[in-house]
Amino acid sequence: MNTTPLLELRGISKQFPGVKALDDVRFDVVRGEVHALLGENGAGKSTLIKILSGVHKPDAGTLRLDGQPVTFNTPREAQQAGIATIYQELSLYPELTVAENIFVGHAPRTALGLVDWKTMTARAREILASLNIYDMDVRKKVGTFNVGNRQRIEIAKALSINARVLIMDEPTAALTDSDVTRLFEIVRLLRERGVAIIYISHRLQEVFALADRVTVLRDGQYIDTQPVRDTSESALIAKMVGRTIDNLFPKLDTKPGAPILQVNNLVREPFTRGVSFEVRAGEIVGLAGLVGSGRSELAQCLFGMLPAQSGEIVIDGRRVAIRNPGQAIKLGIAYVPEDRGTQGLVRQMAVRENTSMAVLKTLAMGGFIRRGAERNLARQSIQMLNIRAYSTEQVAGKLSGGNQQKIVVSKWLAAKPRLLIVDEPTRGVDVGAKAEIHRLISELAARQGIAILMISSELPEVLGMSDRVLVMREGRIIAAYARGEATQENVGAAMMAAGTKQTQQVNDGGQA
Amino acid sequence: MTSLPGTAKLERERSAAAGRGRAAGWVTQESVLAVSILVLSLIVGGINPNFLAQGNITDILSNASYIAVAAIGMSLVIISGNIDISVGALIGFLATIGGRLAVGAADGGYWIGWAYILPVIVGVAVEGVIGFIVAYLRVPAIVVSLGMMSILRGGLILWTGGEWIYNLPPEFTLAQQRVLNIPIPVYVMVILTILAALWLRYAPAGRAIYAVGGNKEAARLSGIDERRVLMQVFMINGLMVGIAAMLFATKFNAIQSTVPPGLELLVITAAVVGGVSILGGTGTVIGSTLGAVLIHVIPSAMIFASISQYWQQAVQGGLILLTVLADLYRRRRQTYGKG
Amino acid sequence: MAATHAAPADANARERRNQWIARLLSQETILIVITVIAVGVLASANERFLSARNLQREIVLIFEVALIALPMTLIIITGGIDLSVGSIFGLSAIVLGFLWQDSGWPLEMAIAAALVLSAFAGAVNGFFIVRVGVPPLITTLATLALYRGMALGISEARSARGFPDWFLEIGRGDFLGAPLQIWILLAAVLITGLVLARTTFGRSLYAMGNNELAARFAGIPVSRNKWLLYVLSGAASGLAAVVFVSRVTTTRSDMGSGIELDAIAAVVLGGTSIFGGSGSIFGTVLGLILIQVLKNGLLLAGVRGDATTVMIGLVLIAAILLNNAFQALQVRLTAAQ
Repeated sequence: MNTTPLLELRGISKQFPGVKALDDVRFDVVRGEVHALLGENGAGKSTLIKILSGVHKPDAGTLRLDGQPVTFNTPREAQQAGIATIYQELSLYPELTVAENIFVGHAPRTALGLVDWKTMTARAREILASLNIYDMDVRKKVGTFNVGNRQRIEIAKALSINARVLIMDEPTAALTDSDVTRLFEIVRLLRERGVAIIYISHRLQEVFALADRVTVLRDGQYIDTQPVRDTSESALIAKMVGRTIDNLFPKLDTKPGAPILQVNNLVREPFTRGVSFEVRAGEIVGLAGLVGSGRSELAQCLFGMLPAQSGEIVIDGRRVAIRNPGQAIKLGIAYVPEDRGTQGLVRQMAVRENTSMAVLKTLAMGGFIRRGAERNLARQSIQMLNIRAYSTEQVAGKLSGGNQQKIVVSKWLAAKPRLLIVDEPTRGVDVGAKAEIHRLISELAARQGIAILMISSELPEVLGMSDRVLVMREGRIIAAYARGEATQENVGAAMMAAGTKQTQQVNDGGQA
Repeated sequence: MTSLPGTAKLERERSAAAGRGRAAGWVTQESVLAVSILVLSLIVGGINPNFLAQGNITDILSNASYIAVAAIGMSLVIISGNIDISVGALIGFLATIGGRLAVGAADGGYWIGWAYILPVIVGVAVEGVIGFIVAYLRVPAIVVSLGMMSILRGGLILWTGGEWIYNLPPEFTLAQQRVLNIPIPVYVMVILTILAALWLRYAPAGRAIYAVGGNKEAARLSGIDERRVLMQVFMINGLMVGIAAMLFATKFNAIQSTVPPGLELLVITAAVVGGVSILGGTGTVIGSTLGAVLIHVIPSAMIFASISQYWQQAVQGGLILLTVLADLYRRRRQTYGKG
Repeated sequence: MAATHAAPADANARERRNQWIARLLSQETILIVITVIAVGVLASANERFLSARNLQREIVLIFEVALIALPMTLIIITGGIDLSVGSIFGLSAIVLGFLWQDSGWPLEMAIAAALVLSAFAGAVNGFFIVRVGVPPLITTLATLALYRGMALGISEARSARGFPDWFLEIGRGDFLGAPLQIWILLAAVLITGLVLARTTFGRSLYAMGNNELAARFAGIPVSRNKWLLYVLSGAASGLAAVVFVSRVTTTRSDMGSGIELDAIAAVVLGGTSIFGGSGSIFGTVLGLILIQVLKNGLLLAGVRGDATTVMIGLVLIAAILLNNAFQALQVRLTAAQ
């Protein structure tokens, strides 16, 4: 490995109104290296990336590219210097074609200065071919492709500017497992070609699978850089959190009571195709499966967002019909949805208004909200879930991911549910808050006897927290394991069954 | 589409892709419009053959032309994710400037060309101001143009007192002239539509409009100067509105110095019927021009089909709703299960 | 961010201070200041301006726009818009006149029919927006043409005249010492204001405007609420039309055209975000007052009526620009440690 840094940062500081986002941070990356950047939400990772990609200018510190000091005033300058960034929210235009997206901002032009569609199409194909991607029609609109394919387009876009440094911000957050596999192949391919890759992820397994070195940031401070092989998961967590977390999965013993929810042959085409199971009081049932296996759709069916077409839902032994979320809430069902930003939280509204949203009716008299009661509820929620907010009036969107998630959870706890469905309860949540949320879920089941259905794409979470594990595939439950029986291997195998064939289809996903 | 084993998501994508495969070919909003115009014309032509007489067809196209030209500008604005409701007022305002200048030129003193050129320059300037406030001062376009509409409307009446302008010189009757027996506005409409369509497809600046309208934040991160693009869009809109105003002003032998009511809505309607998504990021000017033609074919068709002309606007409204629904249905099928 | 955790007591004080800054720099404050200045200048220039008679007359003049602007505020807060109100206004007026004069209905029945029809027209908007999923701007743009066209078609350019005296009393007479319009408007403002600010329904509108999906997930009946708002908007337009016909003693098919833009201008001037999620009835009332004060004041000062249209346009843009500047200032002030 060449050890002269291709890109080097020293003494970088950045102050935003009211917060010091980065304080004397250093970082470097060499050719042909994957350098992982780790840190909790708010540690300063995004600010660092934005400085590298020319979105922000540092208040202090130097950037060196090939040993030469550089400054980037705009994203374009950074791109011209060969630094490409793939943001978490992919920056593609659904209405433009693949080729256009790859060359957006620097399309090849004809002598007349017009867009040269022919050359553009040809070069887009070349670039994709260099990534071993042969199954993508570059003349189709990007809106017709799935997330995994869109990410490949983003990577091609980076290559189109001859990127020497590629920054990837949580690239796997929304990918299916087979897409992740394919992404890793591409990243390794680029590394062999000498591209320097800065890789940001929450998932420690990925860091160990992919990265050569890892740098940890905490509260805007530089903590440490180490070769990955010299460190361990627990050591990295300790560095990120600043303390050791003894137990990420504080599961309490529980004695399941009577069934709260019984589902018989529930159908909602095309995602739920005959599902039967039950959840008992005080029990945590983990629901595993690939993205797209129908887990969230099942939850939304139970919650009335996608009302069932046939089959039976029994709550407390009574057969019920659930046509909309309002009815579900009345029956004591609560659903902490998968996507906090779009489904769970109203970011612009205050903590108070968010925590009361699902129970406004019970806080009201004659339709008028009792303000005192509402404020009390918000105060209780902040206290009970240890939400780090200055006051009940703070705007929810300004809190960290973990605290936002706690607000969503508290909103549903306020509804005093008998059955709590949590969908990806710790996605995008930092390790500290993760342990807290796990403890809370565990206590709700064990102490309050709430029945909990937990959907998660993180197998360790499912295995660590559940009393029983159900596996879903193609809209059906295809396997069930008791707490002792479920292992990474058998649950994983059940999720992936007919695995090779499926991978093939995923690859074909955007095509038809 | 066969139901192979696979995850639900795969199926969803598969069926979506198949739906697209069917629709992506010729079933576009443009072709739907073209077919609607043709079918409607043929039906009415069957009832009353005079409808298809050359004179009537060129009349319809000529009447549609100034709306179509303004709708080109409006399409760009809407594709960029904005809207401009001041265009009706601006057309009235510029037409009056043109008329006054033409009368002045006829009285001697200066070249009649100024009566055509200056209003267009004013149009670009006014839209430039709107663009500046939208792009650099970050005020929503609907609010800025609402304010500008008020200013132009009031200003116009304040200035002219609502008087008619008569005695227009023969040089200021461009829209009434014909070449090869086809009215000049029709040429203007066709040429500008083609130019704008080519520009949108081949000029990097044209492509940038789709980018800005489709994903603002992403456009900024890709190094596109979003504010400059918006300035451009509004200034081109000003140019189009200026030309539209000149077609409008020279249509008759007198100009009423007030703002034709509802003109802005007609222009927006043409764009929307033409398939320009009100949410930004998608649409074509060929569609908007066809949209303008369709909303002018309808009233004419009603006259020839002997339907009370009082019901014209109602039928027009109903048909607008219908085309929008058709477009929505088409898009739904294409993006079924997206995300 | 974690780097800036302050002591709780400090934080509370800061939060309170920030809330005060936010309140001081709000659009409402800007409007109050502008309105007070405008009233001051105009009152000192002309003593008739602040007379009770003049004020009453002004309220009567802005009644129709005001009544329509109230539900419009609610609709814009949910992220929607209703451009068809002016056409519903015209259609109701025409149907009222037509049923009474041409079909020989009793006037009371004709009024009731016009009101029911206006609510139904709103329900049709709601249907396309909620059930079919056509964006509100497009739906109401189409129905704007449709309803106006129906008014034209039904009236065939004729107008109804010669209404009985009791009907004309509605728009021209006094009730408890003041024009009826004042009482209707007062009640409407108080009810919508309270509903929006204090009830679960009002709260759910803000939630819908900020994040509709999250609102659905929280069990808020989003579709029903939207439907209700568009029906309300239609009904308000119908009621405004009845009162207007009574005031001007005749019907015409182009009645109310352009009123949608006046109403939207008042709402936006009042600080309601055109993108939804924030706004208040109080703001809209201030917007309406400012518009009418400018119109009337300039008229009394001898300025031509059309100059006020220009002024309103300028004030609209200026108020939003000021608001933007204040927002930026607020961010700076509240961020300071």
